[in-house]
Amino acid sequence: MKKILSLALALILALSVMSFVAAEGKEEITLNVMLPDFNSDKDWVTFEDGNPILQAIYEATGVKLNITWVADAAYGEKTSLTVADPANMPEVMVMQGVRDAIMISTARAGAFWDLTDYIYDAEEYPNLAEGAKSTYDNIAIDGRLYGIYRARAYARAGIYYRNDYAEAAGITEVPTNVEEFKELCFAIAEKGDAYVINMCKYVAGTIGITPVMHGAPYQYGVTEDGTIYPAFEDEKFQEGLDFLRDLYAAGGIDPNFMTIESGVWNDAERSNPPKAIMRLDCLDNGYRYQEWLETNMGADPEAPIVTLLTALPDDEGNIQIWPQNIGASGEVCVCKTVSEEKLPAVLKFLDWLNSAEGQTTLTCGVEGKNYWIHSDGYRYAYPEGEKENQETYTNYNSTTVHSLNQLGMNVGGDKTPPTATTLLRSWYNQNLIDNAKDVISNPCFTLDSATNVLLGTTINTAVEDAQVQYIAGKIDLEGLQAVYADWHAQGGDKILAEYQEAYDAIH
Amino acid sequence: MTAQPAYAVQRKKRKKSLLTDLAKNPWLYIMMIPGIVYFAVFKYLPMWGLIIGFEDYVPYTGPIKSTFVGLYWFRMFFSTPMWLNYLGNTLILSFMSIILTFPAPIILALLLNEIRNMQFKRISQTLLYMPHFISIVIVVSITYVIFGADGIVYKLTQKILGHSIDYLGDPGVFRWMIVGQSIWKETGWGTIIFLAALTNVDTQLYEASMIDGANRMQRLWHITLPAIRSTIVLMLVLRMGSVLDTGYEHLILMSNSLNRSVSLTLDVFVYQNGIKGAQYSYTTAVGLMKSLVSVMMVLTSNKIAHVLGEEGLF
Repeated sequence: MKKILSLALALILALSVMSFVAAEGKEEITLNVMLPDFNSDKDWVTFEDGNPILQAIYEATGVKLNITWVADAAYGEKTSLTVADPANMPEVMVMQGVRDAIMISTARAGAFWDLTDYIYDAEEYPNLAEGAKSTYDNIAIDGRLYGIYRARAYARAGIYYRNDYAEAAGITEVPTNVEEFKELCFAIAEKGDAYVINMCKYVAGTIGITPVMHGAPYQYGVTEDGTIYPAFEDEKFQEGLDFLRDLYAAGGIDPNFMTIESGVWNDAERSNPPKAIMRLDCLDNGYRYQEWLETNMGADPEAPIVTLLTALPDDEGNIQIWPQNIGASGEVCVCKTVSEEKLPAVLKFLDWLNSAEGQTTLTCGVEGKNYWIHSDGYRYAYPEGEKENQETYTNYNSTTVHSLNQLGMNVGGDKTPPTATTLLRSWYNQNLIDNAKDVISNPCFTLDSATNVLLGTTINTAVEDAQVQYIAGKIDLEGLQAVYADWHAQGGDKILAEYQEAYDAIH
Repeated sequence: MTAQPAYAVQRKKRKKSLLTDLAKNPWLYIMMIPGIVYFAVFKYLPMWGLIIGFEDYVPYTGPIKSTFVGLYWFRMFFSTPMWLNYLGNTLILSFMSIILTFPAPIILALLLNEIRNMQFKRISQTLLYMPHFISIVIVVSITYVIFGADGIVYKLTQKILGHSIDYLGDPGVFRWMIVGQSIWKETGWGTIIFLAALTNVDTQLYEASMIDGANRMQRLWHITLPAIRSTIVLMLVLRMGSVLDTGYEHLILMSNSLNRSVSLTLDVFVYQNGIKGAQYSYTTAVGLMKSLVSVMMVLTSNKIAHVLGEEGLF
């Protein structure tokens, strides 16, 4: 341990001396950046203390990063405080909600540089121009771009379940459509070895995925003649809810799911025997579940007992996937604290972060210090043959790589060296490519509605609560429809009218 | 009674000139400075922030340059049908907690006061103070464990009643759970001020009444309670000022999809839309309105205290 540390320190020292030589000739700038911190329990090695990644970035671009970390949980509140002090804003910051009230009002007030004319300039910024226009459109405010989106896979959502439990219930085939999927659920519920769908307080995933799978629109639908209506009034949506209600009644869902905190959501499946064996959520949790079973239960990696499932055709043969996101998770904004003269250099730097070299440095670190390419050609977080020291290296990475990937935008896709992959992981990666076309979107996402900003969360929460109560059999269809009527009366109609107006202006 | 006129005379004198008094007791005034600074910095200065309740506040633009919109946000709030629901939830929960939690420490203090074994009294007092120091997050977690579907209370009710009560989800149980948790957590701590008041009761009165043949209940009713009456009234007036403060962390921790219809109070609304939803102007207006109602409550209850012949707050 000590040896590795002193060696690393010596290397860092040598490199930092070299780096000053290397950076000569490039325009040298310091950049103040504010980022959400997902490793706030770990120390952070600064540039001055010889962080190898920041040194490498400096060497390659001449940019000295000065990072302000803000714990992720407090990032939203900190954002409001930060923009309330224009003179001391960072130069580059992550804005987490692309359509949040704070993002829209701050951008309109002129706090961020309008990047619309720079982003599509393929000559100057080839990597930024690679971004998907549809996603750029999703983050536009009044048709202007005030940031570069942080790309996220569209087709993340789906179903994963324990196939050994399915087999015990007499179903050996993987479902090929929604109908067969429902049969599978009821078969497992009838067998009664465990709850079927693992649900908790956070219901947006389950209540999102199920109706969309049945053919309902996402959040808002548009009729053939161009009228906007709320998704929950679609009959397919009701079909999806009814399925969950029936499954609940059949004992397929933990009767007290609405009091289970999302923090302990995993516990129901990651226990022996599991309390529930299926989940409608991000599929990456599915391969992590399999890996957990391998580590803790001795499951066979060659014959996974977790099955990942998505893109099931509904009764009419249509395939629809719930959008876990809008193709982005927040955006990276350049604040007006950057002078007009400095702006091109900052954008050049952001462009570089989207290149293969930039992405790798930012998210993986420096080869030979933070990651190693083994003889099998894959990237590992430890040197070849040192698997037993893995933890030492991981700890080192959490203090140096830390949460730097939060600055990563990857608008042109993931360009980092590939890691060794499991059966499920490669299935998942392939799925992201193959099924992205079936992901539907909310037609009103980019439209403006002042009422939605003001009241949307409140009245939508009431609707979601009622849906949970309906699933749990606490209210009947009449009660549910009464809440829907309330939604209309308490601002929903106003939202629809505002959306309709904005929608008609475009179409 | 003989001290009263002397005091009044002194007071009259002191009123004459602040300067002479300052020169006479400089240290007393110096000792006041931290208190004055505290109230100025933490209570009066932040009140300027209320101005954003009358503006369309944009953080980047700042409170001075943001557009002034007058009473727009107030009208906005009253035009949504939900506000009656929020106000109703707030008032019901507040009055429930006043009626049920306010007398609890008084009764407990009277009980403690009757204990003659000092050692037993000290130990029980220490144990009673303990819950006050437990964070509400922990209290809620303990509640979830005990009252949840795998919890002992849940299973016991199932055994006794044949069916169980959904303690954590049923909207009808929600307020009782909140009040119950508050009583469990704060009653012991609340006894301190009443126990202090009880020590001031003249023991000669007890001796005299014992000679006259008064039993324990009579002594309690005719000596102890009247002696701490002014403390009780004072505490009640103070409590009335915070009648609309339901707090939000307790309610948010206990709320879920099933009981949200009763757990959404004004404080929760302000937190969720203001701090989390960044609608500062709107929620400042709502918060300000709540404060105005609270001030009226204090003034009214103070007046009532005066009418009842008590000193009240001021």
